[in-house]
Amino acid sequence: MTTAPRLEMTEVVKTFGPVRALDAVSLQVGAREVHGLLGGNGAGKTTLMNVLFGLYRADSGAVRIDGREVTITSPRDAIELGVGMVHQTFLQVDTYTVVENVVLGTTLEGGSHGAGLSAARARIADISERFGLHVDPDAVMEELPVGIRQRVEIIKALYRGASVLILDEPTTNLTPQEVDALFTSLRTMVAEGMSVILITHKIRETLAVCDKMTVMRDGARVQTLDRAETDADHLAAIMVGESHGTYQAPTVTEAVALGTAPQGTVVGDVPETTFEPGVSVRGMTVRNDHDVELISGFDLEVGKGEIVGFAGVAGNGQVELAETLAGVRPLQSGSITIDDLVLSDRATAQWLDAGVAYVPEDRHRDGILPTSGITENLLLGSHRSARVRKSGLIDWRAARQRAQEAIEKFAIRADSPATRAGDLSGGNIQRVILARAFAHRPRLLVLHNPTRGLDIGSTRFVYEQIREVTAAGCSVVVISEDLDEVIAIADRVIALYQGSQAGEWRSDRVDPYEIGRRMTGLGTSVGGAA
Amino acid sequence: MSEFLTLVVPMWVVFTLAAQGTILSGRTGVFNVTQEGVMALGASVGFVVAYKMGSNLGGLLIAFAVGALVGLVLTVMTTQLRLDQFVVGLALFFAATGAAGLLYREVIGVTMTPPKIDTLTKHEIPLLSDIPVIGEPLFRQDYVFFFVVLLSVGLYWFMQRTGAGLNFRSVGENPKAADSLGINVNLARTWSTIVGSGLVAVAGAYFPLHFTGIYTDGMIAGRGWLVIALAFLGGWRPLYVVAGAAFFAGMDVLGQKAQVIGLGVPHQFIEMLPYVATLLVMVFAFRWARQPAHLGSNYDRESRLAG
Repeated sequence: MTTAPRLEMTEVVKTFGPVRALDAVSLQVGAREVHGLLGGNGAGKTTLMNVLFGLYRADSGAVRIDGREVTITSPRDAIELGVGMVHQTFLQVDTYTVVENVVLGTTLEGGSHGAGLSAARARIADISERFGLHVDPDAVMEELPVGIRQRVEIIKALYRGASVLILDEPTTNLTPQEVDALFTSLRTMVAEGMSVILITHKIRETLAVCDKMTVMRDGARVQTLDRAETDADHLAAIMVGESHGTYQAPTVTEAVALGTAPQGTVVGDVPETTFEPGVSVRGMTVRNDHDVELISGFDLEVGKGEIVGFAGVAGNGQVELAETLAGVRPLQSGSITIDDLVLSDRATAQWLDAGVAYVPEDRHRDGILPTSGITENLLLGSHRSARVRKSGLIDWRAARQRAQEAIEKFAIRADSPATRAGDLSGGNIQRVILARAFAHRPRLLVLHNPTRGLDIGSTRFVYEQIREVTAAGCSVVVISEDLDEVIAIADRVIALYQGSQAGEWRSDRVDPYEIGRRMTGLGTSVGGAA
Repeated sequence: MSEFLTLVVPMWVVFTLAAQGTILSGRTGVFNVTQEGVMALGASVGFVVAYKMGSNLGGLLIAFAVGALVGLVLTVMTTQLRLDQFVVGLALFFAATGAAGLLYREVIGVTMTPPKIDTLTKHEIPLLSDIPVIGEPLFRQDYVFFFVVLLSVGLYWFMQRTGAGLNFRSVGENPKAADSLGINVNLARTWSTIVGSGLVAVAGAYFPLHFTGIYTDGMIAGRGWLVIALAFLGGWRPLYVVAGAAFFAGMDVLGQKAQVIGLGVPHQFIEMLPYVATLLVMVFAFRWARQPAHLGSNYDRESRLAG
């Protein structure tokens, strides 16, 4: 009985339709322990924790807290059992003060509301003091920065008596100083007997704060390790996966012919395939949605016909990078030019006219008009072009004709050009978006996770199309979480970590381990400069 | 001056009552736009019941019940079926307006001289009613006036000074956060809309029961729409609504006076002032006059879209 762990999840299975999101995952977390839950996107970390917090119901499996089997069907149950969770997006009322947000939904003690709030204020002060989570209890939420708002979320959980605290990617929007402060608070919590589960994909942070770590991949637990018995390289290898053990770089470009140098050699060591200058990015600085400067002083050259691939774990500035290169997100400073034409600070119409095409990551939200037909969706962005206009109006006959051609060429499975885009499957939506991008005759093509969710045939088709536009001199930027994809298609691979280029390799001489280390924030003596 | 106030105070009752009913549901995120129709229906029901039963209180209570019924329809359509609040609200406005006229004609019929009921009796508060200027208009009133004063203070107390009010308001500010903390979003929206719509109907019933003693079609004369403007002007807060209602009532009475005696200003100009004031407030004081963040948007727990 005394040896029962604080939390024990056994053989948890969760399926979404045909997808097995959690495949008999087991997890043990002891008291006085910070437990890291590592893995890439889609590994099942957050799904597992959502099961624990009662947001998802597991198909099978058991949860035990302090050795006692429990059923958790809603967040309310979880909170009563002492499980608290800090989500990536905070659930707060912006117009309320800190105290009001913390007490929301609880019953206040004390005779009157005012007395109850005073008591709550005192408890919050006590929690702040004990765990180093300093906040002004009377500050209005919307005026607080992200780091403080996160503290309020933690205080909310502690106020409700959490003894197991789950944090989902808590460091994404924090400054290094705020990360240090957060980790100090977490150590204090476990020193007082709590358990903390930290969902993350950053190896360095895991090693800095965790006592134990569980690595997940594809909805399954790969391994649970003690902090003492592992190091960064070991973890990186487990995260990237054994499949890379005997990795052969695919022969994508003619640069392969030059390959005599050993793996891991930097690009500068051997003459590079030369591309005519095309797209040039200088000192680009970009903020994320929380007004945090995520990318600063970013330089990039993409030649005509060159494919540059960015490898990285989600949340390291991919969305911001893609959107800025595509002209969707404004630059704080710096410039983007195509063939000496400065595009930054210009209207989106001019980006489109200059031949910038974008395939966004979030197809449904950023890629299509769900209630419009395929014809309209394909027309977007080129609606001003002479090809689809007749006497100042849109020539719908020509537009439908184009849509019909695209449906055939891209093998979009739809009844007619009038089919609503939102009724298509994910793969077919992607084909519509790609058809639109390629029909644009791009000079700069920005692709973000272009083949996610596509089958092998479609993926191959996408790669062929990309090579076709590069043959016509288009500069291509591929941003993907799929390392294999980046290596397979790009001429140059750049590791992206926290908005910076953490290494650069020619794709015919890459070492996936090395990329894996760099994109999870580990420095090294070998390889390109960060 | 005292005479002017005596005219303003009953109109203040109408505006305050209907606006408190509007902000009650607005605070949970239900944007009610049925006021013009529900007030007409309240006037019709209030008159007919009072005339047939001989009880003005009965008229007010049945008017409340009928208004509550409209609120129930609105809330089922928007919280259960998740239909657009504005579209449903407009449909209910038309339905209620039609029902008001229909009910009167079915029960009373078309008459040369419309039947008349006794208006509500006034009660005097001793001593206080002897205060010069304000004593007569404020302390010699019917019970609806005193009810509205208590209601306004009570609503303020509930919304701003209790834990239940804190939970209640969070539903309109961030329903997802409220839901995640165990607050029943749909329940809060349902009861606030039912009670709120009932209050709006009572405000309508006040026209035949206090002012005229008779019912005529169109007697609300656009004041239902003004109530929506008043809710925004009052920043969806009970006490600001009380102040805003005084201004709206003052303008209303001035407008009527201007028509009769002529103040040298076209009465249309005075009637326009409440709208202009609302516009100015929305433009210059938007922070104070801000509405609940999720006013008018339906809540769907399963939805992954932003919000």
